[in-house]
Order: sequence, then C-alpha cells, then structure tokens
Amino acid sequence: MISDRLKRVILTELQLDEFSLEDSTIADTVPGWDSLSHTRIITAVEAEYGIHFKTVEVIRLKNVGDLQALVDRKLA
Amino acid sequence: MGKRILVVSRLTQEKTVRGIALMNRPTDDIKTDQTVWSHWQRFMEQEPERPAIVHWVAGEEPFRWNWGALGKNAAFYAARLKKAGVKRGDVCALVIRHHKNFYPIYMAISMLGALPAVLAYPNPRLHPDKFRQGIEGMARRSGLNWVLTEKELESIIRPVLSGAGSTIRDLFFPLEWVNEEKAVSDVAHPEVRPEEACLLQHSSGTTGLQKAVVLSHRAVLEHVRRYGEAIQITRDDRVVNWLPLYHDMGLIAAFYVPLTLGIPIVYLNPFEWVLAPAILLEAISREKATLAWLPNFAYNLMADRVADEDLEGVRLDSIRMLVNCSEPVRAESQERFFRRFAPLGLKREALMASYAMAETAFAATQTVPGAEAKRLWIDRNEIAKGNIVVVKEGAGASRVCVSSGRPISGCELRIVDAQGKDLPGGRVGEIAIRSVSLFDGYRNNPEQTEAVLKNGWYFSGDYGFVRDGEYYVIGRKKDIIIVAGKNIYPEDIEDAIGQVKDVLPGRVVAFGIEDPASGTEQICVVLETGLPVGADQNALRRRVRECGMAIDLTIARVYLASPRWLIKSSAGKPSRSANKDRALAELQHS
Repeated sequence: MISDRLKRVILTELQLDEFSLEDSTIADTVPGWDSLSHTRIITAVEAEYGIHFKTVEVIRLKNVGDLQALVDRKLA
Repeated sequence: MGKRILVVSRLTQEKTVRGIALMNRPTDDIKTDQTVWSHWQRFMEQEPERPAIVHWVAGEEPFRWNWGALGKNAAFYAARLKKAGVKRGDVCALVIRHHKNFYPIYMAISMLGALPAVLAYPNPRLHPDKFRQGIEGMARRSGLNWVLTEKELESIIRPVLSGAGSTIRDLFFPLEWVNEEKAVSDVAHPEVRPEEACLLQHSSGTTGLQKAVVLSHRAVLEHVRRYGEAIQITRDDRVVNWLPLYHDMGLIAAFYVPLTLGIPIVYLNPFEWVLAPAILLEAISREKATLAWLPNFAYNLMADRVADEDLEGVRLDSIRMLVNCSEPVRAESQERFFRRFAPLGLKREALMASYAMAETAFAATQTVPGAEAKRLWIDRNEIAKGNIVVVKEGAGASRVCVSSGRPISGCELRIVDAQGKDLPGGRVGEIAIRSVSLFDGYRNNPEQTEAVLKNGWYFSGDYGFVRDGEYYVIGRKKDIIIVAGKNIYPEDIEDAIGQVKDVLPGRVVAFGIEDPASGTEQICVVLETGLPVGADQNALRRRVRECGMAIDLTIARVYLASPRWLIKSSAGKPSRSANKDRALAELQHS
C-alpha cells in the first residue's frame, strides 16, 4: 500500500496531477518517470523523509512497493 | 641527418614531458596491416595474466578478466558460433545486458572474421512491437545475419526471422551455453585483410532506419593509434566506462582503443550508473582509473545527484582525463562538476573535450592532455549573424563556448557555407571532416550516404567555428534533439503523436529546449487539437506523454493549440523553429 505522502512526493516531482500508484507499479509505466528523472525522485523522497538510501538499495528497487518498504524500514 | 636530429629532439622533449611514458607507449605496437583480433590475440597468448576487463556490478565484488581467460572463453564461443554457421563477413547483432560473458562473446565474433554489432537492449517501457519493428528495419538496412540475445527476448525477436525480406538466419542464446573446457583448437582466425569490415555500429536515425556505419580493421586500428597518441595514452592508464557499447563513445573510445592497446577497462552497468551515478566515482577510486568519456549531462547528474554519504573514502586523484563528448560541451556543467568534486582530488586540467562521431570511427578533435579545455566568450548578437566576435569573460549578451580541441592526426576539418565553400576565419559554418578513419558510407543506404559524403569529405551537419586552430561546436544544421547523448529525430515524435486521439493529424511539432539544470535537452511538443473549450485538456496531455513512452521518449512539455495555430513554412509544413519560438512565448504547457 502506497502512502499518500510518498505518492504526493512522486507525483509532484513528475508534475502529474493524478496517477494511480500501486505496490506493483513500475517506474516505466508512469509518465515522465525515466532513468533521468529517477535520481530526482529519489532525492525528493530522501528530502521529504530526512533519510538517505545507499547506492545498492536504490539499484535494487523493482517497483513503487519496494520504495515504500525501503522508506518504512528507514523510518522504523 | 637533419631529420634524425629532429626526431631525437622530439623524443627528448616527450621524455621530459611524460617521464617514462616514452618507453611505455603502447600506440607504437599498433600494426595497421593486421586485424584488431590479431592484436587481442597477442595479449591472450603472450601475456595471459595481464588484466583486461574489470566487470563491475554495484554492491558485489567485480569479476576480473585477464587476457588468457578471455582468450580461452572467446575460443569456446567462436567454436559454437562456427558450428552454428557463422562465417567470416557475417553481421552478428548482440542484444545482451551487462554480463561478464558479453566480452568473450563479442571477441569470438571478431575471431571468426565476422562483424559484431551491439544493439540496445529494450527498455521495459518500449512497446514490444516497436522494438520488433526496430530489429526488422535494422535487419533489412544493416543486413544482420544472426542475433545473439537473451532467452527473455526470444518471443519478441523470433517472428522477425520469418518476416518478408529478413536476412536474419537464426537466434542464439550464448549466455546459456556452458563451457565444458573441451578442446576448441579447430577455430582459427581466417585470413582477413585490413581493409575488410571489422565492426558495424549505428549512427543516429529514425527507429528501424538507423544508419549503419561499417568500419574496416584498418580504420579502427588507425584510430586506435592516432587517438591513443592524441590522449598520450600509456600502459599505466586504466579506463572506466559506464557508456553503453551501442554508442560510438562507449564502443570505440572506451572499448576498442584501450583493449587493442592492452590497457585495462573497468566496465559498469549503464542501467546501474544512471540510477546511482556515484558508482562511477567509487569505481574510479577503487580501481585507480585514469581515463573516462562522458556526455555533458553526466557532469550535471553527478554534480547534483551524488550525496556526500556515497563519497566516503572516494578519491579522484588518479583521474588524468575526463573527456566531455557527444553532446554540446557546456562550460557551466564542467564548472559545476569541478566545484563539487575538487575536494576529492579532481584536477581542473582533467576537464577535457572531444568532437566525435561514428562516421569518423570516433574522435575528429581532442583537447591537449594536461590542460583544461579552453573557453571563449563570444557576442551573442554577432553569432546570430554568423560572426565570431570574442568579448571579455562574462560580458553581457555573451555566450561561453568550450573548445573541443585540435584535429587528431590523420584528420582534417573545414568550416564551410551552405554551398560547401570554405569560410574565412571568424565565421560560423558547417563542419566538414576528412579522416584516415572515415567510413565508406552508410550500409545499404546510398541516398543518405550521398547527402553527407562528398569528394571524401563528411559533412557533419554540426555548426561551429575555428579559432587559433581549435574547433568549437555550437549548434546543428538539422533539428535533431540530443537528450542525454541520444540523438532523436523530431519527425519520429511527430509521427507518433499525430496518431493520438484528439490531435489533428500532421499538426504536431516537436523540438528540444535547453535545460540548464540537467545539462541536456528536453523534448517539447506543440500540437493542434479540435477539443472544445472546457474539455479535459490534461487527459490529452497525458495521452501524448504516454504515446512518447511507447517509443521510449520522455516528453517534458506538451503545448496545446487551437486549429490553424501552427506557423507553416513555404513548403506547407509546420516550421519547427518558428513554432518553437511562438509556443514558448504564447502557450501554457503541462
């Protein structure tokens, strides 16, 4: 389940007013979310929660659910 | 006698400049009357323990190939390919992701005297039909004979084999082949002449209509030697690279040049680098790398997106050259990168530049090692009239231009007008190039060849000027959009968007705009729509962006206009530059 807070950060960064983000959503299916904007989104998520992801953690993310789980782990 | 003294004094001078470098100059060992494979083979047989390739995977211990192991594995793959029917002169497309066995597979093709051609592995967002059409087009145009790929793509690619006019004879999945260490002595390198084809690389072009550039062994070896000399390469160098090998900068500069000179390369996964650009800096630091080639956007990406936490223990003192190439070189990007990483030991003189293209094997010009690429401030108003007027640093209405250096040996450049006549100094014109490593023409494409190759000169379509012997590239003749080093034709975008519901057919214009933040261009489209006032315009904008995604392009801005808004050229087609100016001035985008 993707939190409203994470969803808002991602959609703001992509300048999308609305788009459905599920656990299984992969970046390549979201308008504007490509490899170049990916680092921007990750930086925005880090800033929003005041956390830092390691390089390998970023590379291993498969979908938005993984990103949510990683955020939750960092905050725990 | 006079000549002898000259030679001695030149050598003495080089000794002074580069210390022991003279004894260590691998470019002297290049034999242009042989093949690339024979150079690799010498290292495999005579120096089997010598490091060849460090295959880097983020978060894991890298896999280290030495020349001996590479040779044995290449022989294994060559034997399998030969048995499967691959012959000298055949074109073998490689569509394989970052994998340690990619290198011996690539070399095996060369061992058989066949031509390797690396193609991009499809991004998941690219529609499978588009990818298949791309392969079909390339098979016809480039004359692909075999495709070496991964099992995962079988269902997408196999139908191409039975398509009308397909030259592809079979698909192979070499990553599935297990080397059982059986004797493979029946494979010998055939007698290939130096003027025969060595490899096939694709220049920019519409999907499926990419222009295929075939380079001979001689052209590649000439380039390896001359470009190696231009960057004063030595056996102490170590190349690090994240660039994909379907790109000339990755393939020639960071693969053929070092490997043919016996210089080790550290090869990163392009997909991993773009997600976590810090891995390049980590690899430089851990492997003490000295050379890398980067397109301009990479400088911005690393300066802005690498966190301090990822730089712990990272040192960049070993780097002697970072060559900015394949996108216009932006001074601001170089500066931002330098400021960010100077505290880690990055030297200012390591910031270099080159002007290069697949048609000349790779580099046409290169800045001098040991000195930062020169910058010039020129008057913006004069440049619009085609004149170069140098002004003071940072003067108002000035544009800063970064030098791409002087022609490398064996390469000549001219600045010409629209009729192909030489322009005097101080004028902007098209850059034409003649080189010992020039291609012979696009494969199976006489029209495109005729358009750019005239009397042995290649007309690049790039605009630039020369000053004090150094070349500055400042624009393009055609409307190509360059996003992160990738050349995109606006026609491709316009054709695709023209099919979207509520877009008036043929009433779309695509153009690029500079994005200083990312150091590259963004794609914008302006289109006419018949949607009534009050209709869901955002839904249309989203459909347009999704349409871009299906052809693996990110459309940053969508401008909607009413019917008959677009300005037509005299030929009746919407004019890109006029509509770009008008859209930016008058329309809202999303």
